Amino acid sequence: MKRFDWRCLAVSSVLLAGLARAETRPQYGGTLHVAVCAAPGSLDPADSGPDSFARRSITLLMFETLVTMDDGGRVHPALAVSWQASAGSQRWQLRLRRGVKFHDGTALTAEAVAASLRAANPSWTVTAEGDSVVIERDPADPETLAELTLPRNAIALRNAAGKPMGTGPFHLVDWQPGKKLTLAAEEGYWRGRPFLDGVEIELGRNYREQMMALDVGKNDLVEVAPEQAHRTWPEGRWLANSAPVELLALVFARDAQSPEDKLLREALALSVERGSIRSVLLQGAGQPAGGILPNWISGYGFIFPTNADLPRARHEREQVRKVVTWTLGYDGNDRVARFLAERISLNAKDAGLSLQPTAAATADLRLMRIPLASSDPWVALAGVQAAAGVSQGRNRGTTVEDLYAAEQAALAAQRIIPLFHLPVYEAAGPALRNWTLRPDGTWDLADAWLGSGKP
Amino acid sequence: MRRAVYNSAIPDVILNTVNRASRLALNPRLRQVFLVIFALVIAASAADWSGPEQQLARKIVAVTGPGAVSLTMENRSSLTKRDSDIIQGGLRSALDGLGLRIVKAEQAAATVKITLSESPSSYVWVAEIHQGSGDSAVVMVSTARAQGSSAAHDSAPLSLRKIPLWAQEDPILDVAVLEENTAPTHIAVLDPEKVSLYRMQSGKWQLEQALEVVHARPWPRDARGRLVPARDHLLDVYLPGVLCASTAAMPLSLNCRENDDPWPLVPGTLSGGAVSVFPSAGMANGASVVVPQIKGFFAPSRNFFTGALTPGVGKFTTVGKFYSAAWLPREKYTLWLFATIDGQVHMVDGVSDQAAKLDWGSDLAGVRTACGAGWQILATNAGNATEDSIRAYEVLDRDPAAVSAPLELPGETTALWTESKGDSAVAVVRNRETGSYEAFRLAMSCSQ
Repeated sequence: MKRFDWRCLAVSSVLLAGLARAETRPQYGGTLHVAVCAAPGSLDPADSGPDSFARRSITLLMFETLVTMDDGGRVHPALAVSWQASAGSQRWQLRLRRGVKFHDGTALTAEAVAASLRAANPSWTVTAEGDSVVIERDPADPETLAELTLPRNAIALRNAAGKPMGTGPFHLVDWQPGKKLTLAAEEGYWRGRPFLDGVEIELGRNYREQMMALDVGKNDLVEVAPEQAHRTWPEGRWLANSAPVELLALVFARDAQSPEDKLLREALALSVERGSIRSVLLQGAGQPAGGILPNWISGYGFIFPTNADLPRARHEREQVRKVVTWTLGYDGNDRVARFLAERISLNAKDAGLSLQPTAAATADLRLMRIPLASSDPWVALAGVQAAAGVSQGRNRGTTVEDLYAAEQAALAAQRIIPLFHLPVYEAAGPALRNWTLRPDGTWDLADAWLGSGKP
Repeated sequence: MRRAVYNSAIPDVILNTVNRASRLALNPRLRQVFLVIFALVIAASAADWSGPEQQLARKIVAVTGPGAVSLTMENRSSLTKRDSDIIQGGLRSALDGLGLRIVKAEQAAATVKITLSESPSSYVWVAEIHQGSGDSAVVMVSTARAQGSSAAHDSAPLSLRKIPLWAQEDPILDVAVLEENTAPTHIAVLDPEKVSLYRMQSGKWQLEQALEVVHARPWPRDARGRLVPARDHLLDVYLPGVLCASTAAMPLSLNCRENDDPWPLVPGTLSGGAVSVFPSAGMANGASVVVPQIKGFFAPSRNFFTGALTPGVGKFTTVGKFYSAAWLPREKYTLWLFATIDGQVHMVDGVSDQAAKLDWGSDLAGVRTACGAGWQILATNAGNATEDSIRAYEVLDRDPAAVSAPLELPGETTALWTESKGDSAVAVVRNRETGSYEAFRLAMSCSQ
């Protein structure tokens, strides 16, 4: 398997974004025009609606978390300036930054933070203690800080109508659900007002529409489908990609019902020709995945086999007398998803299995894109299990072997067949400067600014 | 020190190397010197992998038991080949010490494939063990990755050189050299929240005092600041919308207040101001030239000067909003250069304002040296360059001519200010690899 160094990729992306504009002092002003596929039904960070990288990015423009995580997995202060855990990682105390205000001028208080975290995590016990919040976890969880870095744990103050407000670099001006979101720079932002005056985000735009808008200069930042990332980019357009942060997987709707069912699932997993699918349908994007976590997060992902083994698949299949036809669901709005589903069905047929692709909402198994929640492996694994409806063990370990065992257990349940780990791709127009696509797939626009537009 | 204690593979490596060296007919004394130097180099640069080596070896042996195994190793991590080789040697020694004999695959009862991999925070070493026709077993260990070390970036252009002053994780807005002999011995480092005074003692910088910058409003993004040595106290600190003054005597304190007073654009020594804290200060070529002081108003919530000047350049009391300014004394007037926020350079002589689109960036600084015409402009390069650099220029009439090679920098310049003595500048660079801020003194030499 080809070696993948995600750090090089991330660096190359940053360089690509910055190469032609190595240096000039940032300029204030202007409105950034962005387009995304997602059309969130809520702007509340704690809302459990569909997850996407765009939604996370939007959340982090308006809201902030108590702590942040850097590319190396180290946790840094944000709304919390310091923290302390009890010996067993059951009780976490985080001291809040002073002088921070929500967008309506209300001071950030421990009470507000506690209420926000309780709303996002009903199973946590969160209390205010002076200028600190105390989080009690049962069972104890050493990954609590990593969880606090997640956008869903961003701190929101909810008014009487339940509308959330944050402390982030931009505040909400207008939201037309499914269509458009307008944000303006927060003048009193505690980290300093952003350079941009505002951000306008067009929601629910497909990749093709986004690319056209970028090409005619209507948008400054758009999403790019993985299979389109190889295209030749005109001068002045910049493509950036994250680390592989999205799991493309087949997810069964329910647990295996019998030993025969398990054998058939095993046969299906062995039949998928990831290499040729990647070359043809994904145009070389992404990495074939045998495990849930990409290697850059776990460090051991390479040991999960990804090559198809048709003889073994047939052998597994032949041990089962009666073969049922499974329906394979895919997102009908995603053209490539349909091709992928059809290709996987053909692979399955070669192994003697029967898959029926369908765009219907219910299916025996689905082709799912699951954004990884974090670069913290335990949090990422738990996120995938939750998205796939797989039950999780109560206790997390501390060693890499514990993690490996947990991932093996998740795979052994045979609810998930990992296919690929995909990066997030974004393209920017010539005027956008100093923006960052973080390795976790979210944008950082707080330091972005608009230049003259000349490459 | 942990680095001195190493696994047993290293002496073998060294011995083998020395044995090969002996075939090159080095005399014994030279060989000894070579051995010592080589060992020192290895010891100084090698990390201690013995812990994870032993740990992984024990886990492997727990699966295989003592006996004969074949061993292959692959490096999928960012470890260098040298480190990978060292680890391989260490693992072989550790396995050997636990009773495992490493043999060819055809003689082995088990095969062990070790992969050196990594995650964002750790190195992950994985051993896949195959015994007979049974399933393979997997054992692994992880060990924390060292923080990235900053590479050496010093280069030696012919006429413009950079001398490291200070580096830190937090943004540096300015550095002032307060005392120096052959090298700085006392410096002040301005970051958005404090002024830190460091004194060189026994070859190391020691923090002498940290003075908090008190401010009510958040700083603007791309915050800028300036340290200006004062006549009757140590320092004035200019920050967006805030002016701080230090007290005169040690221990110092810093009194800050909201204030929109203009920032001086010409260092005290060049504008005729007396600066008491520079016993070694002096112009490189000694001539006495006074540049009239001009001050610029800084936008308190932005990263630029508003363009309002006091007392003004001739008839011009306002120019376009600018990021930085530099001056070039002429026989009868001073030519001012303003890097305006529209990307142009405005040359203002008091009578005319001539705009030019030069291949320059946002930051300019004027220096007086003993080289060339005696006055040079240091300018960052324009945004369309592929490398971050600063270059010296002289301006004949209104046409700038480069007089130095570009001085390559390890990242984008976040500050460029003329030093108080006027013959050098301080540049602050954000290192693009490490993310840390590095301050350099930029000095001209007349070698070209």
